[in-house]
This record gives sequence, C-alpha cells and structure tokens, in this order.
Amino acid sequence: MIIQQIFNGLTLGMTYALIAVGYSLVFGILRLVNFSHGSVYAFGANIVLYLISLKFGLGPAILIGILLTGVLGVLVDKTALEPLRKQKAEPVASLITTIGISNIIVNLLTALLGSQKRAFPSLFPAGDILVLGIKFTYTQVGMFVVSLLLMLILLLIVNKTTIGLTMRASEQNIKAAQLMGINVNFVISFTFFLSGLSAAIAGALVSSYYGMTYASMGYMAGLKAFAAAVLGGIGSLPGSLLGGLIVGVTESLAATILGSEFRDSMAFIILIIVLIIMPNGLFGAKSIKKV
Amino acid sequence: MNKLTKIVTIVLAVVMIFSAVACAAPAATEAPAQATSPAGSQATQQPAATEVPAQATTAPAAPADQKPVKIAVAGPMTGDNSEYGIGFFNAVTLMAEQWNAKGGINGRKIEVVQFDDKNSPEEAVSVANKIVSEKDIPFIIGHFASGVSMAAAPIYQANKIIEISPSASHPDYSSIGDYIFRNNTVIKYETQASLDIAVNDMGKKNIGIISIKTDWGVSTSKIATELIAGMADKGVKLVAHEEVIEGSDDYRPAITKLNDAGADVVLCVGMYGLVAPVAKQYKEINPNISIIAFSNAYSQQLLELGGDAVNGVAFPVVFFSVSSDPNIQAFVKSYTDKFGSAPSALTAQAYDSAGILFTAAQKVGTDDPAKLRDEVNSMTYPGVTGSTHFDQNGDVQKPFTKVEVKDGKFVLMGSK
Repeated sequence: MIIQQIFNGLTLGMTYALIAVGYSLVFGILRLVNFSHGSVYAFGANIVLYLISLKFGLGPAILIGILLTGVLGVLVDKTALEPLRKQKAEPVASLITTIGISNIIVNLLTALLGSQKRAFPSLFPAGDILVLGIKFTYTQVGMFVVSLLLMLILLLIVNKTTIGLTMRASEQNIKAAQLMGINVNFVISFTFFLSGLSAAIAGALVSSYYGMTYASMGYMAGLKAFAAAVLGGIGSLPGSLLGGLIVGVTESLAATILGSEFRDSMAFIILIIVLIIMPNGLFGAKSIKKV
Repeated sequence: MNKLTKIVTIVLAVVMIFSAVACAAPAATEAPAQATSPAGSQATQQPAATEVPAQATTAPAAPADQKPVKIAVAGPMTGDNSEYGIGFFNAVTLMAEQWNAKGGINGRKIEVVQFDDKNSPEEAVSVANKIVSEKDIPFIIGHFASGVSMAAAPIYQANKIIEISPSASHPDYSSIGDYIFRNNTVIKYETQASLDIAVNDMGKKNIGIISIKTDWGVSTSKIATELIAGMADKGVKLVAHEEVIEGSDDYRPAITKLNDAGADVVLCVGMYGLVAPVAKQYKEINPNISIIAFSNAYSQQLLELGGDAVNGVAFPVVFFSVSSDPNIQAFVKSYTDKFGSAPSALTAQAYDSAGILFTAAQKVGTDDPAKLRDEVNSMTYPGVTGSTHFDQNGDVQKPFTKVEVKDGKFVLMGSK
C-alpha cells in the first residue's frame, strides 16, 4: 500500500512541479514571486473545460485553452507589472499587485462561470495496468508522462535555444542583457507565456485527475506549488521538479500514515523546515544577487 | 538582513494570510442535513428584501379590524446559502397563500415576514432580538445551519416564541428548550436508514466510512460507528474509517486505505461534493464498490459532477419530489408553477412546518404561547414529508424513502 501511495504522490507531485516551474521561471528573471500564478492555473483549467463544452473536439479545445492561458500570463505582465517596472516601483508593490490580479482572475471566473464545481471529462482512457502489485491507472501514467515531457521541453528551451540563452542572460543581469541588445521586455513576456502554458497544462491534467474544476481551485494548488518551488530552490527548474515531487509524496504519505487532515499542511511544514535549514532550497546554491 | 530573508519574510506573511482566509471561508457554512433538490438552485425566484410583508392574496373573508397573524421566516436570504433561505421563504409564502385563499386563520390573514441572517450566528442573534421586539410574531420558521439555529434558539425560548427549524440536525439543537422544534430528522435515524440500505438491501457486511471533518461529519460518523458496532451479531463490521477535509478534491489516499482494508460498501458522510469525487475515484481502483450516502447528497449537482460513476449510489430521503403521491405531486406542481424550480427536501419541510404552525394557531389561537406550544407538540400533521409528530424533545421521526441513482437519474430503489 505504501508503494501505491508513493506513486499516487508522485503523480500529484508532477503537477505541483509543473505549477512550481511557473513560479521559478518568473522569479528567475524578475526576482518576483508571482502570486497570480495559482489563479492563472485555475483559469487554464476552467477555460479548457469551457472550450471542451463548446464541442469542437478535445484536442483543439485543450490546445487553444493552453495558448489562451499563456496569453493571459503575458497580459498579467503587460497590464500590471510592466508599468510598475517602468516606474521603478518597490518589489513589494509588484508582489502585492500580483495578489490583486489573482483575486481579479478568480472573481471573474466566479462571475462568468459560477462558483460551483463542474465535472471535467477524463483525458485518458479508463483502466489500469498492474505492475509489481501496484495499480497504475492510465490517467496517472498519462499525467506522469505528459508532465515529465513538458518538464524536459522546458529544460531544453531554457538551456539549448537562443531564447533560452537570452532568458538566462536576463536572469544573470537584466541591465547588461539589455545593453547586449536583448529585448528584455520580450524575454519577460515570453517567460510569462511559458509559465502560463505550463500552468494550463497542469490545470487540465489535475482537473481530469480529480474529475472536476472550479474557480477557486488555484489557491491551495498555487500555495503548495510555491512551497515546492522554494523547497527546490526558487529559480531552478530541476529544483521545482524535485520540490514538487517531494511535496506530492509527503502529502500522500502523510494522508496514509498521519491521517487525511494532515495532508494540506504538509507542504507548509516542509516549507518552514527548509527555510530554517537551507534557506536557498535544495538547488538554489547560488546566493541571490542584487538586481 | 539580506534580500532573500526579506523576500522570504514577505512571502511567509502572504502565505499565512492566504491560509487564514482559506480556513475562515468554509467555517460559517456548516453542513445542513439535507441539500438541494434535483431541480437545483431556487435562487431564480429571489424575492426582493423590501417586499417584506408578503401578503399573498386579498382574502375577502378577513374583516378589516382583525390583526393579521404574523409568521417570521429567518434564514440566509443573501450569500452562499441563499437558495435555502429563499426556499424556506417561498415554501412558507405558498402555504400562507393557500391558507389565506381559504380565509386565513379564523378570519385573520397570514403575513409572512422575512429576515436575513446571512447564515451567521451573530446576525441570527440580532435577527432573533428583532423578532422578539416586534412582539406580535408568535412563531418563526428558521434558521438554516445548526450552529446558527442554536445561537438564536435561547432568545426564542426565553420569549416563548416557537421556533421550527426545517434543517438543523445537530443532536443538541432541540434540547435548548421546549419552544424549540426541528422538522428535520435527527441524524441518528437517517444514519440507521443509510446503514439499512447497505446491510439489508445490498447485503454487504464490510463497511468503510469516509467522512468530512465538520461538526456534522464528525458527529454523524461517530453515530454510524456506534450503529455498526451494534450490528456485530449479524456479521457486519467497520473495516476502516477515514476522515477527510471537505473540498480537498483528491481522496485517493483515503480510498486506497479503505480498499486495502477490504470494504465492500462505503458510507460517504458528506454532501454531493464528497460523494461524487469519491465515487469517481473509488471506481477507478474498484469498479464493484457500493456507495451509500445521506439525503444531503440528493442534488442535481451529484449527477452532474459524478456522471456515470454515481450510478448505484443509494441514500434515504424523507421527501422525493418525483414520488407518485398525489399530495406531493400537487405541492411540487404549485411550487414549481409559482417559483420556477422544484422544491427541495428542506423546502418541503419548511412548507410542512408552516402548515403545522397555522393548524395549531387555528385551533387554539395565538394569544397564549404555552397553549400554542402544547398544540404544536401534540398534533400529528399529515404533510408532504410524511406524517409529522414532534416528540418530547421537539424532534421528529419520519419514514424514509430509499433512492438510488440509475442511468443518471434519481429513482426509487429497486425500481426497474
């Protein structure tokens, strides 16, 4: 049973990792914790469900939903954060702005779609495979594989492409990058786009796993993913992956051993312990430089 | 203090604020015994708050100098649970109209007065004080949640105003005083009815419980545990009990434990928000599991959220709106015609409660609260939720109808 629970946790952890990546990407460049990310994730799940309900096919609906969420990410940056950057506002101002945006997105979703939970169709066929006495449902395997693939793609983009190079350059020194002719605003927008994409994919996967979607689903997931990002070392992609998996597995084990009521607090207990023992997180070895 | 520490401090503060908000939100909405009807929201017929004295018909029989009989309806008329409060108000209004059309109570017209408690105990206390200070309201239908009703009840008791809550199911509610009644089955009998479905109708013996961690969920699952222990001689046993946080969406860890413990039937102590995902997630790993629930799962939302997975889910209800009983049919029809949606079980109980109060007032008048109280306590009222008789405690016991989900519809259990 324990092995089964660990696998349950890994599946869930994979999606936390996908959300955590969004925090890390943005934090890497802007040194800003984007608290609207959880709501962007909720938006992704809700918009995908809405598009599916329009019945022009599952594939296109998911694809368009994911792209729209990416666009929402860019929109968040362009409308709220870029003006603040131009005015050289305090970082705290940006942080609080993201909380405001988060509320705007969630309340818009509630106003347009209602606050009730709505059924989300299964994206993977029903059924399971039995390996070594552990039951893997296709949904779990599918979630795991899709998340892992997406993680690899993100790593490739950041480490092997030109745009990834400019992202890393901006991460190291945004001013120097600008002087070298990098369009920093474009890089930031692209980063928000990527984080929106991964959030929407995570949203669709989780909704299909739980079988439901609702407007406020992003609060808890967003906070847990944030804990995962800090745990792995915010700003580091492999860190997010590992952090997400650790949070997922701990939750699952806590629910088994300590009881379900401990489940939601695990992420934050880990967060606090990590901050005390290794404030930079598992992979965040380099100290944060002044921007 | 370096930059990182600063960021971390801010972030931690934010996390705390978020979690505080997240924890505070659901606290007020305590689980009632029963939820909505399949027709869903009744919010469609939102009466304006200003339209307080809902004088339904201009009954010609009422002499002009007779003072009207006032009945208060207190419940959440706005906010999250407003569909319940509005349902109460609609039901009482409908009953009052029917009485007024026949000439009222001994020639006195009935006036329904609406009070909004926002389903908050604080508001309920001020509403109760307001009702008391009006001095001409002898009885009240309300409040909605058990905790809210229990906050207001002592005030009614002290002022000898009869309170009938159509929804409160907390064991302690009715013992607050002899003027405090509930027209809702105490959870013990309902639990018994649920277990009866599992053991006698389904023939299962290994029962697992999955319950939500609210006041209601904890006390209900405790009652269920005791009842199961009492059936040990029939070979029935509790194999596992898992408590979960309502709304955590992923119940797989608990389900895995229940399944490994060998449960062949699972009692879901929670509303449709628990039953639907549990049915879905349980059937992924064990398609043969049977699921039983409580009447608060009786909601259109259960079918929408659960889809195919909730087929076979069974539970007891006291009011089944598609029942063939002509009385129920007439009530459902006149309610639906007037308000645009079918009445829920709680609405039906509010309707019957109003009927009880009016009948008692007809017989003994409203001047002597003690006489009125005794009359309410002693009568047996044949209503749409079966025949209602309050016991010494002010509780009722009603016959249950067993309902199951079949092909995406609620049907009587065992019907083809």
